[in-house]
Formats: sequence, structure tokens, C-alpha cells
Amino acid sequence: MSTTFNKQRRTAGWILATPLLLILAGLLIWPVYLGIKTSLTHDVLSEFSTYGVGLGNFKNLIRQPNFWLSLRFTFIYALVATTLEVILGFALALLFDRVFPGKRVLFSLMLVPIMIAPSLMAVMFRLILNENIGIIPGFLQKIGLHFAIFDQHNIFTSLIILDILEFTAFTFLLSYSALQNMQEEVYEAAAIDGANKKQVLLQVTLPILRPAIAIIFLLRILDSIRTFDSVFILTGGGPGTTTQTVGIYIFKTAFIYGDFGLAASAAIVLVLILAPFMPFIIKQFNLNQNGRR
Amino acid sequence: MRLKKISIALVSALSLVVGLAVMPAANAATTVKMVLWPGPEGDAMQKVVDAYNASQGKKEGVTVKMILLSRDNTFAKEATLMKAKSSEYDIYFTASYLVGQHAPYLTALKGVNESLYLKAPVNSLKVAGKQMALPLDTSLHFMYYRKDLIASLAANAAKYTTIAKTVLGKDLKPNTNPATWSWDDALATAAYFTQKYNPDSPTKYGYALPAKNLLYNTMIWNDVLWGLGGNWLKDGKPNLNSPTGKAAIDIYNTIYTKGLTSPESSQWEYPETNSALESGNAAMGIQWNAAYSELNTTGSMKDQTGIAAPPGTGQRTHVHALAVGLNKYSKNQVAAAKWMSYLATVPAMKAYAAAGGVPSMPSILTGMVAKNASFANIIEYAGKYGYSESAGPREFDIYAALAEVLSPAWSGQKTSADVAAAADAAIQKLLP
Repeated sequence: MSTTFNKQRRTAGWILATPLLLILAGLLIWPVYLGIKTSLTHDVLSEFSTYGVGLGNFKNLIRQPNFWLSLRFTFIYALVATTLEVILGFALALLFDRVFPGKRVLFSLMLVPIMIAPSLMAVMFRLILNENIGIIPGFLQKIGLHFAIFDQHNIFTSLIILDILEFTAFTFLLSYSALQNMQEEVYEAAAIDGANKKQVLLQVTLPILRPAIAIIFLLRILDSIRTFDSVFILTGGGPGTTTQTVGIYIFKTAFIYGDFGLAASAAIVLVLILAPFMPFIIKQFNLNQNGRR
Repeated sequence: MRLKKISIALVSALSLVVGLAVMPAANAATTVKMVLWPGPEGDAMQKVVDAYNASQGKKEGVTVKMILLSRDNTFAKEATLMKAKSSEYDIYFTASYLVGQHAPYLTALKGVNESLYLKAPVNSLKVAGKQMALPLDTSLHFMYYRKDLIASLAANAAKYTTIAKTVLGKDLKPNTNPATWSWDDALATAAYFTQKYNPDSPTKYGYALPAKNLLYNTMIWNDVLWGLGGNWLKDGKPNLNSPTGKAAIDIYNTIYTKGLTSPESSQWEYPETNSALESGNAAMGIQWNAAYSELNTTGSMKDQTGIAAPPGTGQRTHVHALAVGLNKYSKNQVAAAKWMSYLATVPAMKAYAAAGGVPSMPSILTGMVAKNASFANIIEYAGKYGYSESAGPREFDIYAALAEVLSPAWSGQKTSADVAAAADAAIQKLLP
């Protein structure tokens, strides 16, 4: 009886999931198939014919110094920005993990940056940071400060600061949510044991939230590695290729140089580089859900 | 039995509805879909489209529908459509610098009356001798300067000479006629109006340098190269690793490293260059013709906007045309050709100009000088100094590659000696 019921349940589950699976197949599997197929072909916009080249694009990609430079920049950028965002987001979450006047309003304001599209944020930054007409350089000059935000010597720092301004809200929100799930009894036990605030943070809160923080870090760094629009709008990847992310490299290869095959192979290599992180994230999710450390 | 009757009635009704929906109306117009980008060109073209749809289009059985893709990514989206041999749009938006790349996906145009157009733009849309697109707006560069500032040089000759000696190591006297400037004159003048060397200068920097890694900035740098008598190619081979090529790179490098422009100009393109001139932070700079109206009516250059051809002994200005081309895979070739024939007429382009476009027809530009003074300059400069590179189907790619290779030298990270050979290699890779 129970076996029949389980079978029926499983069948119903498959039937109900079929439309979603079909949509997923259309939106995910088909583009991935096309991407792999394109990566194995000579597919250049200015040339009419397209033909198979096997792994030729991958061999060519390996010889492209700009690809490796953009990978290097991307990983450094993602690592620095994510580390700072996770630290700041967690610190802000600790600040908000208490009752104080105006908390709701401030909390809502904190989330504004993640509601704005990164490309739009970049356009806004370009305007408000414009040395000649921007409100921020104007204010800095008024108080006697001059900081060339887009000077090539400062550009990396500026891009990191702008990334932090935009995405710390994301790490803050997830950190705050994790803090809300902390059991009050744990803090009470720590207080009974005579732990001070620093000890509670370092020896109780952080160890318990380690899986959550790991997930936040990984989700953010994976997103950061895909950075394209904001950097592209602000610097175009330059001067030269000094601020070129892999996303910009792929975009330029496909849509400026018109080499779709090479661009597709770069995208696949990027996926292959990132794929090993996925089991780790899934493991951390499971750890978090099971409440184990 | 009853069920059978109901089924037959339902199937019949459904067939009728489907039949009516898919059957074309006896006199239905063919819809031609045309891509353009938003902004002044899209706005102006909409007026022409509306006029055509309301009159001639009705007679010809054609309705034109314009689709505005985003200004930043129109060409990227078109590239994907072209590669997929899509018939979604009948007419593509293109440009002189892209037509080589787009040509395999366009139908060559026949019967275009070239005599109606400015020579440089119409020629720049030919590939292997065939007219692949119809010119719309013409774009070129001017050397913009503040007339009041340049006029003041004559009274400060001694100071000018001292600054020129300090910054450039050369004995120079003020030249108050920018139309005859050499690059030494331009650099010395820029130094004179830089507060670092002349604290009395009304502008913080003498020059507004668009040095971002952007292909459109390569077009502006080309003016410098040509002004010194250089070119991308010599006898069909790359020629930037040459004395003239290196000298052209050095001019940008000098402007940046000597502080004649803002240190932030390594990330400048059109808007930042314009704002530097408009805000009074910079005294001069090469900029697109589209900036003229804005500069001459607002900010520090109001009524003081002077223009000249880019400096040099072989003065030239980059010129290109925005254009439309007929999709080879369009299923409405005949209807699309009818619309494009209309678009090639003087009345259509007159309506385009009246709505804010800058058509490439000199007769229209001349007739509308009273409405837009910059039209006279376009005819003069396109005619006298207009030039465009012709480096084959991957010209667009070369512009982008040069921006990538040269921008570190433009902004002082590297020298001309570091990048000139790489620039030649980048060109060589993209030659047919």
C-alpha cells in the first residue's frame, strides 16, 4: 500500500515538475549546448562561413596573454572586494542586531544599492564623480581636498570602493539574516560563563556562523568574478587592459572583435574554473541547514 | 450524434478564426523593420518614418517600423542577429567603421545618387567598390578652443616662450591662429593655459584629452597621426612603429605626463571631454562635431567657441557616417528597398535635418546653416580635411585593438617605444 502510494507520489512529482524542467532545459541546457558548439567552431562576424575547428579556439585562448591578464585582474579584484564586503557587511549586521531608534528606516536605506542595476550605478558614479561637473569632486575641492578618483594610480582602489558601496548591502543582508537565527540561549550560556563581548563574537558567534559566512563569501565572490557592466562603463577595461575583467574580455572578443568561437571558449574555461567551487557551496548549504559545524 | 455535431461546429468555428487570423488582408501593407539607436538620430528618424508611413508608404504598400536598441549595445545585438542570419529586422544600423564587418550580411545598394552626398561619408560606406549602406549622419572632429584665451596670447609672448621652453624645451612664439597650428604650437598653448606652469591661467588644464581605452578615442588620435603625415599602413603594411607613429603617440604621452590634461583623463571619453571644456577646466581639445552646439551655447565657451582643423602639417579630420544597410536575409527586400529609396531623397533627408539629424547631403546642410551654424563647418571640414582609414573588413576591430594597445602610452604608463611594435602587430593580425 505504502509502496504504491510512494510510486504515485513520485510520478505526480515528476509530472508537476515537468513544465519547470522543460523551461530549465530551454533556458539552461540549450544555451550551454550552443556555447559548447560555438566554442568548437571558427565563427567570426566578418567571415561569412562557419566551420568546425575542434579544440582550436581553446588552444588559441591559452596563447592569449590578455585572457590570462584579465583572469588575474578578475580574481584579485573579486578577492579584495569580496573580503572587504563580507567583513563590512558582517560588521554592519552586528551593529543592526539590536534595537535602536530609526533602525527600520536605516535598514531600508542600507538595501537601496542592491535594488539598482550595476550598470545604472556605474552611470550614476560616472556622473557624480565627474571631476568637472560631479557633486563629489566639487565638494572635495570646496573643502580643499583633491583626489583624482579616476587617475590610473587610484583606479583599482576607486573600483573596489564603488563595488563595496554597491554590494556590501548584499553581504549585510545575508549576515543579518544569519545573526537573526542565532539561538538566544547560546548568548545566555556565554554570559553565564562570564564571556565578554569580544569573546562572544570570536568564540561563539563567528564559529557558529562560519558555514553561513562561507556561503556569503562564495556567493559574493562568484558574482564578483562575473563583474562586467560597472567596470566596463567606468574604465572600458583600461588603460590598456589593466582593469579588464574576464567578462569584459569575453564581451570584447565576441562583440567588438566579432570572434564568437574564441569568446565562447573563454566563457567555458571560466565555467570550468568556477565549477569546482560548487560542491563546496552545496556542502556548506547542507552544513548550515543541518545546523552542524 | 449530438457530440459529433458539436465537435464539427467547434472545429469549423476554430478553423474560421485561425484562417481569418493568418490570411493577409487584401491590401495589407508590408511592414519593414529598421534598427536604429536611441538619441538624436532615432528621434529625427521617427519623424521621417511617420511622414513616410502617412503618405508615400501608403501608396507603396509599405509600413516602416523603427526599433531603437540601446545606444551602447546596438552593434553588439546586431552582430548576434547577423551571425544567426536572422530575418527579424529588414534594415540594420551600421557605420563607416563597421560596414566592412557587416558587409557579408548586407545587400549591396544600387542606384544611390552619390552626387547628393558629401564625398568622404558616401565613399566610406563602400566595400570592394560596392555601396553597402546609405549615409545618414556625418561625424567629424574639430580642434575646439576658447577664442578669448587664444586672443590673449599675443599680449603675453614672453611668458608663453618661457613656458614653452620649460615644458617642451623649444623656443616658440605664440600663434594666435589655431588653423595654422603645428602640434608644438598646440602643446605650448596647452602648457600656457595649465595652472601648474602658469598660475594665472583661467583654466586648470590647457588640454582636454580623451585617453580612455575606447575605439572612438583611437579615431581622435588618428587626427594626430595624420597631422604628422603618418598613417596606419604604408604600402599595405602596418606603419605605427615608425618615427611618425611614435611621434603621434608621444604627443598624447606628453600631454598626459606633463600634466597639461587632468590625471583622470585616462578614463575620459566624449562626455568628460565636453564637461572639461564646458566647465572651464580646460582651454582646448579635439572633440566631435556634435559638441559644437552645446559648447557654444552653455558654460565657459559660450559664444567663445573657436574651431579649427586638428593641428599638423597634413591636417586631416576623421570623418565617418552613420548609415543603414539592407539585411541580406530580409524577407521583405523589395519593400525595404522602396523605403531606402525614399530615404535617399532630398525631401526625406531635409525632414531628417529639420528634426535634428545631420544628414550627409551638402545641399541640405547649406540650406539649414541659419538654423544650425555648425552645418557650415561640417561641409567645409569634411570637404577640406575629411579622411577615413580603409583597412578592410576588420577596421572596427583595429580601432578597438589600437585603443587597447596605445592607451597605456597615451596615459603615461608606457612609452611609444614600448607600444609601437605591439600596435603594428595588432594591426597585422587584423588585416585581410
